[in-house]
Amino acid sequence: MDERTVNALRLLPDYLAQHVLLSLVALGLGILIGLPLAVVATRHRSVRAATLAAASLVQTIPGLALLALFYPLLLGLSALSQSTFGIGLPALGFLPSVMALTLYAVLPVLRNGIAGLAGLDPAVIEAADAVGMTPAQRLVQVEAPLAAPVVMAGIRTAAVWTIGAATLSTSVGQTSLGNYIFSGLQTENWIFVLFGCVVAALLALAVDQLLGLIEAGVTRRDRTRVHVGLAGIVIGAGVALTPLMLAAPHTYLVGAKNFSEQFILAELISERLMREGATAERKQGLGSAIAFRALASSDIDVYVDYSGTLWTNVMDRRDSLERQAMLDELTRWMAERYKVRVLGALGFENAYALAMKRERAAALGVRSIEDLARHAPRLSFGADLEFLSRPEWTALRDAYGLNFAEQRSYSPTFMYRALQTGDVDVISAFSSDGRIAADGLELLSDPKRAIPSYDAVLLISPRRANDPLILRALEPLIGAITPQRMQEANFMVDRDADKVSPKEAANFLARAIGIAGR
Amino acid sequence: MAPFIELDKLCKSFDDGRTFAVHDVTLHVELGLFVALVGASGSGKTTTLKFINRLIEPDSGTVRIEGEPVGTSDPATLRRRIGYVFQGIGLFPHMSVGENIAITPQLLGWPQADATARVSELLDLVELPQSYASRSPLGLSGGEQQRVAVARAVAARPKIVLMDEPFGALDPITRDSVRSSYQSLHSRLGLTTIMVTHDVQEAVLLADRIAVMSAGRILAYDTPRALLSNGAAAEVANLMAMPKRQADRIRALTGGETRDDAHG
Repeated sequence: MDERTVNALRLLPDYLAQHVLLSLVALGLGILIGLPLAVVATRHRSVRAATLAAASLVQTIPGLALLALFYPLLLGLSALSQSTFGIGLPALGFLPSVMALTLYAVLPVLRNGIAGLAGLDPAVIEAADAVGMTPAQRLVQVEAPLAAPVVMAGIRTAAVWTIGAATLSTSVGQTSLGNYIFSGLQTENWIFVLFGCVVAALLALAVDQLLGLIEAGVTRRDRTRVHVGLAGIVIGAGVALTPLMLAAPHTYLVGAKNFSEQFILAELISERLMREGATAERKQGLGSAIAFRALASSDIDVYVDYSGTLWTNVMDRRDSLERQAMLDELTRWMAERYKVRVLGALGFENAYALAMKRERAAALGVRSIEDLARHAPRLSFGADLEFLSRPEWTALRDAYGLNFAEQRSYSPTFMYRALQTGDVDVISAFSSDGRIAADGLELLSDPKRAIPSYDAVLLISPRRANDPLILRALEPLIGAITPQRMQEANFMVDRDADKVSPKEAANFLARAIGIAGR
Repeated sequence: MAPFIELDKLCKSFDDGRTFAVHDVTLHVELGLFVALVGASGSGKTTTLKFINRLIEPDSGTVRIEGEPVGTSDPATLRRRIGYVFQGIGLFPHMSVGENIAITPQLLGWPQADATARVSELLDLVELPQSYASRSPLGLSGGEQQRVAVARAVAARPKIVLMDEPFGALDPITRDSVRSSYQSLHSRLGLTTIMVTHDVQEAVLLADRIAVMSAGRILAYDTPRALLSNGAAAEVANLMAMPKRQADRIRALTGGETRDDAHG
């Protein structure tokens, strides 16, 4: 069997269990909120309009955006509860995912609940009152059973939506089947992407069929169908959730942003921690800003960031210091401001740099960004998803007066593709990227030093800042990774042919720097 | 002695007092009577009926049953001792015929065996086969459904049955048959029945007393015979004239036939 398929299968129990748990809890909460709300809304016309409007509004927010919105909200709540009760809330992972998915699940349950209850024959309701039922008896004995088929249809819709949208929770650090899709997209591991899509679709399909069976049973008053459907769901969930109950408690959470180098380093860090006898779980595919905030609030314990990124985005500095001075200042500031420990620089830089195809640059006579500025009005520029909104871009643009004919954003993988196919002439590359050498790209020099240096640094959360195990495990990495090695490791994952998993690239790095296993 | 059911100065407005659906209605119903409330649509007869089992609450005035104001008891408890049959029938489609009939006994916490026995007794009483107990009400004809509804209304042995256009949706032959079986039920069980109808002929045929309503008020309350013969208020006489004319015409026709038969 293909090695990537084996890898995907190896990860399946954990990903599926987390996905099922998340979907189950969100759907359960959605029903618990949606149904009573539907009952109240049916009794009071004003509540009905308001709740339906609110639920529909939530539905118009894209799933990813909803997840992203819960993150700062929970950070704020966490700070509040920290100061009030001395207990912080996790702002990353399960909690924001469950909250966002619950909101998503409420609408179909609510809408069908209202439709089911409001659509009942008024004569039957009048009869229920007239035979002497209390409002509660009427709800339980008459309204609920009669509205059940419509309500079940709503629950079915909610289940399918929730299972699909749960794949997005990977982006806020919750493990799900989305991990296949997000990491597969970044490392161009299409088997992973396909695997994630297929498993999520099969899960949704299976749940839809089982709920459909219950719905048919409820409609035809056929208890056998209802029981078979319920048993299927209980057994299925039980089997899917077993790995969670067997799993060892996770001790260290290793964060990674959403590109290959980060995946490799997260594997390397995990490997080091496990070698010291700890258990490690990875939170992959975090957005740049989210990763640091998660670390600062100890939602993750360790990750690698870049000095220039922290300098401009977190410290909000616009000046540019010499490399070592900048590292010193960063270390001091982080400890003081966030109690975050900067363990040290890994030894390579991953700077933002503008890159062109070598022959194109030669033909135009462009060697520096200064040269580029003269040609820019006739060239098109491809950037990664966040570059154009980062202060580095503003600094670069203002320093050189860059004014491109066209600007487009891509996920990193597709950005390099676009340069190869000629869709864009210049891209915002990363200096440690293996594709620079492999694709024959020219990095343009930055004579005005508009972009600061981007030393890869190991950051440790406040909670673990003095944890001897993590220090012992990770200190050997400081200053050990040269730019060439990182480029090589990155390229092993990013190349089109003969690519390897981030885990294997991490093993390669470990061997190269002489810290591989005995 | 106080009357069995007493409606005392009842008023109801559905538009904050601009117009009155029911205006100062007072009516005394003696035990065991079959009373019909007749009048045109919008005369307030259904509203008046629903005051009795509190499906509608009056703005002012009181309903008393055996001297006890109905407002003092919990509506659900009150309704369990008053049968109710209406044009919409309203059988519970997710329950069997037997479960429908046994619903009020079940709410009152009767033992299962008593409820089952009562269902069987009532199916006989409303002239339906015993096998219907386990059937769904959805497969029944309109007349059969209304018979089940009547059985449901009297299942917990109420003394009072309220009926709102109970036979209005049935075809004429079925209507006549359900009507007469109810009438015999009324006397056999010693019920006090108040029935709303816009069909004066029906009122004349079934009721011991007729209350004629118009624009929320009671214009007359008397026996059918008295209302048919007396030269009462013009509006009442007008209303009562219709069944009389029909009866005269039928008598004339059947009289003719009888003569023809005699000749033959």
